[in-house]
Amino acid sequence: MIQSTAFPVSLVFPPQGHFTQPYLALPCLKAWLQDKGFADVELRDLSVEAYDHFLSPEYLAWAKDRVAERLPLAELESGDSLPFRDMRAWRAAAESAVSADALIERIDEAKHVLRSEAFYDRDRYVPAVRALYHGLRLVSAAHYPSELTPHNFTMRYANDRSNEVLAATVDGDENPFVRFFAEQVLPDLVKRKPRVLGLSVIYGSQLVPALTLGRMVKEALPDCHVTAGGGFLAYIGEKLMNAPGMDACLDSMIFHEGEAPLEKLCVALRAGESDLSEIGSLTWFDRREGKAVTVANPSGHPVKLDSAPVPDFDGLPWDKYFSPEVVVPYDINRGCYYGECTFCTLPTVIGPGYRTRKASTIAEHVVQLRDAVGAKHVNFITDCMPPGMIQDLPDQLIEAEANVTWWSDARVEPRAYTTEGAKKLYDSGCRKLLFGFETVTPRLLKMMKKGQSLKSTIEVASNCADAGISVTFYAMVGFPSETRAEAQATLAFLQEHSDVVREVSLQTFHIDEVAQTYREPEKFGIRVLDDPAADLQLYHDYESEVGMTSEEAAEMFEEMMAGLRASLPLFSGDNIFYFMQKSHYFLHLAKGTLPDDFVAACRERASAREARVARPDLAPSPGLTSIGIAYPYGKVVETLGHPLARAARPDFLTGRFVADAEGLAERRLEPVAAGERVLCYDAIACDFVELAPDGLRALDALRQAGTLGVLTGSLGPDASAARDNLEAFAARLYQHDLLVPTLLPEPRTAPQAETATQAKPSHAR
Amino acid sequence: MPAKENENERQEAQASEAGTEQATGAENAKAAEALDFANMDLSVESVEERISPSETNVFDK
Repeated sequence: MIQSTAFPVSLVFPPQGHFTQPYLALPCLKAWLQDKGFADVELRDLSVEAYDHFLSPEYLAWAKDRVAERLPLAELESGDSLPFRDMRAWRAAAESAVSADALIERIDEAKHVLRSEAFYDRDRYVPAVRALYHGLRLVSAAHYPSELTPHNFTMRYANDRSNEVLAATVDGDENPFVRFFAEQVLPDLVKRKPRVLGLSVIYGSQLVPALTLGRMVKEALPDCHVTAGGGFLAYIGEKLMNAPGMDACLDSMIFHEGEAPLEKLCVALRAGESDLSEIGSLTWFDRREGKAVTVANPSGHPVKLDSAPVPDFDGLPWDKYFSPEVVVPYDINRGCYYGECTFCTLPTVIGPGYRTRKASTIAEHVVQLRDAVGAKHVNFITDCMPPGMIQDLPDQLIEAEANVTWWSDARVEPRAYTTEGAKKLYDSGCRKLLFGFETVTPRLLKMMKKGQSLKSTIEVASNCADAGISVTFYAMVGFPSETRAEAQATLAFLQEHSDVVREVSLQTFHIDEVAQTYREPEKFGIRVLDDPAADLQLYHDYESEVGMTSEEAAEMFEEMMAGLRASLPLFSGDNIFYFMQKSHYFLHLAKGTLPDDFVAACRERASAREARVARPDLAPSPGLTSIGIAYPYGKVVETLGHPLARAARPDFLTGRFVADAEGLAERRLEPVAAGERVLCYDAIACDFVELAPDGLRALDALRQAGTLGVLTGSLGPDASAARDNLEAFAARLYQHDLLVPTLLPEPRTAPQAETATQAKPSHAR
Repeated sequence: MPAKENENERQEAQASEAGTEQATGAENAKAAEALDFANMDLSVESVEERISPSETNVFDK
């Protein structure tokens, strides 16, 4: 009998995650709970809600004032040189000063571009994405030294020390989510009074925000049970639940698959139970004797996946995702049917064992999702599909007339990804597959136990590419014993096959405490380093007996990325934004653009801009602003991009922590010498460009003259050197959209000596 | 206002405008001459941001 007692549940995806599409876990849990009689389950994607809130004129205006107050540029420019320790602050202050007003004015339009058909116009897409990135830099500057980007959230607090994590949750100054939750989230929750708040923590970047909200809810709603689960917590949850003070933020934690434990938790709490020890996969704080005592229940069994209901996405803020159409995630299976790769611990997160839905169930659910939420595009969530599924799923999707496009991760299975197999996948809607390629070196592939050869990898990739499916390779740099030469060989291979492999998701090797490389380091010739002070340590630095050190691997990452950006059209210049925003490139494929055509358009766009030459009708962009700065901006940004500098900021996705990284960077990276420069920002192109002071004088002269033609026309007949220098300058500014044409793109006659009747500068874009 | 006076005003305005344009053009030429474009540092630098591993992570786990 279904109980009718009101039992509101709120399931929250906390910041920071991808902002282009929702994550899958909570819709699965919502559907499950509803199926079991819990009618009132709400979903809140606070990650996209936060991004939307921060990227608003009101918030950016507040941020602008806050930056001026906290990071006054003049005070940061008092020295003859800028030491490493001050570079981030200076950069944040300088960028804010020149770009804030433009971003405040531009940000709503930028969001609109990404959410509308304008998304498909790359001349509008790229500046819009840049505006979002720069808007987040302004937000970050207001909470300096915290950094929120579309891909990460870091603070100066270490994620692997519980005392620092807890301190971060109450830092109202540097933690932007304290105020966001207090003003934008808590009032709704206080009104709703959920009995259970579930927090989905997939990424390390979500840890502090999740615990921040947990703490605030526990204070405001003492009767609400706060539980958390998710991929990241599957790794460190046990340590977290035994860390002092964590009971102020949480009441329990669910490990691995969440359906059954969450259901049983809700049943128990609804019945007024305070003894939760029968709930499998739950670790909880037993407060019955007053003090919170950590109790770790044994693991429960996973549910029968094929019987699980279709995920329920209802209640998610569809109009807030930064995509013109939302790509809906759906899990084909849980766990990895192969499960042998020695570096991989991903199957850990969902619990042991491999579970799958039937192809017919998947097709049926896809049709239901299509009809329920208008899902035309699906991201099938899977570590990889077994050969049988690769053959059955397309058949079922075609038979069900699903008419969706889709993309997913994949494993090299030569017998399944044949020419015919690939064609059928394409016919069923597949437009992109991501294969675990890793490296070109056979002995490393053997150590990784990939169970695939280079020959079969390229054969599979070629079959898919020939069928019209875009192929992405996952590649890894720095596997234990890998040499620089071997990594360079991998790069060369990828470059040679850029006609087949359109994107490369390159990662640096890292060790987490679940990996075989951590448990049996001697087999890989490494010595794992521990940090005794890090009670939440997950990732470890290491020393290798042979091959690259972890620092060398980080440098090699930079070298490989530079090589890929030079050779993959999709990675060239700002085209790479399409790769970096989850599903954005896929959406073009889904709309019918072939990979070859998209790549050609990327290539053409990059080369067309480089080929721009000076033309007489060029005038300064109406959106162009500039400030004088005391240090060369480019040199500062270059220094901050150095691997040593990067290691000084914890990267929560790859977790490369280096002891005393900040001090090491300070000692080894040279300060930047003072030098008067000018930093420009264009509100329409959304680009930071650096000039010498002379450049600003030339720009002012251009403004006064009106157009380049008028200015060069006013120079004497013997001023060819001056004319050449000015035109070269103008060409470069035009390549960055800081100068714009004022006439139609292709004037019918050669421009005459400019007269007062020439059209006034306009938005000629 | 009588038509003739309108016409006079219009002609005066036009003359004044032409004069202003000539003056502006002359000012431009003077200003341009004052700047030694041939020897000015007209370098333009833009930064291609390095991509970090967190930004190449396109998988969900």
